[in-house]
Amino acid sequence: MKILDVREMTKTFGGLTAVDGLGIEIETGQILGLIGPNGAGKSTAFNCIAGVFPPTGGEIYFNGEKINGVKPWTLCRKGLERTFQIVKPFASKSVLYNVMVGAFAVTDKTAEAEAEALAVLKSLHFESRKDVRAGNLTIADRKRLEIARALATRPKILLLDEVMAGLRPAEVDEMVAIIKELRDRGITIFVIEHIMRAIMALSDRIVVIHFGRKIAEGTPDAVASDENVIKAYLGEEYVVS
Amino acid sequence: MKPEKINRIALVLLSAAALGLPLVVRSATYLHILVLLYFYAYLTTCWNLVGGFAGVLPLGHAAFVGIGAYTSTILSLQYGVSPWLGMIVGGLLAAGVGILIGLPTFKLRGAYFALATIAFSEGLRVMVENIDRLGPFTINGPRGLQIPPLDTGLTNFMFAGKEPYYYSILVMLAGVLFLTYRISRSKLGYALNAGGEEPEAAMALGIDVARTKLIAMALSSFLTALAGTFYAQFTLYIHPKSIISLDLSFEIAFIALIGGRGSIAGPVLGALLLRPVSDFSRIYFGDTLPGMHLIIFGVVLILVMNFQPRGLQEPLTRLYQKVVNRLFHWGALEAAR
Ligand SMILES: Nc1ncnc2c1ncn2[C@@H]1O[C@H](COP(=O)(O)OP(=O)(O)OP(=O)(O)O)[C@@H](O)[C@H]1O
Ligand SMILES: [Mg+2]
Repeated sequence: MKILDVREMTKTFGGLTAVDGLGIEIETGQILGLIGPNGAGKSTAFNCIAGVFPPTGGEIYFNGEKINGVKPWTLCRKGLERTFQIVKPFASKSVLYNVMVGAFAVTDKTAEAEAEALAVLKSLHFESRKDVRAGNLTIADRKRLEIARALATRPKILLLDEVMAGLRPAEVDEMVAIIKELRDRGITIFVIEHIMRAIMALSDRIVVIHFGRKIAEGTPDAVASDENVIKAYLGEEYVVS
Repeated sequence: MKPEKINRIALVLLSAAALGLPLVVRSATYLHILVLLYFYAYLTTCWNLVGGFAGVLPLGHAAFVGIGAYTSTILSLQYGVSPWLGMIVGGLLAAGVGILIGLPTFKLRGAYFALATIAFSEGLRVMVENIDRLGPFTINGPRGLQIPPLDTGLTNFMFAGKEPYYYSILVMLAGVLFLTYRISRSKLGYALNAGGEEPEAAMALGIDVARTKLIAMALSSFLTALAGTFYAQFTLYIHPKSIISLDLSFEIAFIALIGGRGSIAGPVLGALLLRPVSDFSRIYFGDTLPGMHLIIFGVVLILVMNFQPRGLQEPLTRLYQKVVNRLFHWGALEAAR
């Protein structure tokens, strides 16, 4: 069953077409990777799907329901959740407080929200940091906090926008393991990532976009040897690790 | 002794001190100053629900004080309605107005929101100053409304001495502090804080940020208006300049910023520090340099923002925690002996 079905999605900013007739389908329980050079329109696609702004054209279906223009907070309650490429912690608050904000999406009671948040922190091996002010975290921990907060809302599908950027190789491996574990828990994952090693290890399928348009799609191996993909990346500033 | 127990004892001692203060302070002048101190602490605590937790800077809360004062006074003078009932009516009216102001303005950022609230409150003042009668209601323009001191007693919310007013505003302050405490630990409090700090992230986490701000605004304006009625009953005379003034709105914001916005103790600490400055500068500079207190506030604000951007509440809370911890460890040592 398709959990997310994006058809002919277009988004323009003034004269600039950031996303151009993009079609993406994700099966429940899959990990789908989205890659493309800088400025290809990946984050813009996420923003349209997650309700930050409606797409200029096309349709987005979540579990069979059309969600064009549905607000982010409503989507969150329906089970579609995202993280931000530029992390947005509630910096003056503790890690636990941050995660509790997410947990309040599934309960009205403070005690339950706290228990839920602690359980999520524990599952991410993060509970030792629970009293640290979010603004004082390292970049790796901030990325982890983004995921923890999102998880506390009990999503069905999780959109991850470059949660590994800026991490050291060991931290990347750890993050890959975490994301796989989330999938094993039944959460469908839609992930944007520049780090090839990670995206290859994670994805069931990969979609490649360039100038907002899909130029390739398939298994990691198929995509890696695709001529269009190699051409699109040639000369680009690009992390191969 | 456990830290929680020390906290509870501190709270009880503080309450006892507040309750017993009129037994020591016999001078009417000083009681008057104390009543105003609590009045400002109350107003700032109400303001804090929006200005602190929701992370915007409203600068027109005097409008709600005015709505509360005028509503209950007009109802009681011209229709014989009890000020207590008028207080609730004024509160509801203010909540409605608060929502109407919030709807278009919460989308504005930073300074624009502040300016819009100033504009509204000033607009209201000018209107009240220029209206003598509004339909069936006598407003009396710039002359304001005088409440003749007739039957004193609780039912009329009118008393001969200052003590009953002292206890009334003390109860109101304690109530609103308790409410703030409960809210800060509830879903609404988390949503307000999150929406104030990182609106986009808050929205993604299931929070309708605009809606929570409106709820806070309605609550804040309702509670602020109640203090308007209190002020009218306390001074028995209201006029636009005294009660819908920018001076009042600004003083609330100064108290909040210097005390520490977004914290529970901040507004009370701010009022404790600034109200005496305000009163004594009026007593000593009132004739020669009126407005001196605002200049002093400005200087204090600059100093505090430079050294303690989260307000005086932060170092004082840290100090208090340290003392509590000392007591705790000392107690544990004694027990072990
Ligand atoms: N809110 C916006 N207003 C105007 N233009 C925008 C906006 N958001 C993105 N763009 C433009 O749309 C294009 C696609 O940007 P987007 O952020 O989606 O790229 P990306 O694939 O996520 O890139 P990166 O790998 O660098 O994160 C860019 O040219 C960008 O400048
Ligand atoms: Mg991006």
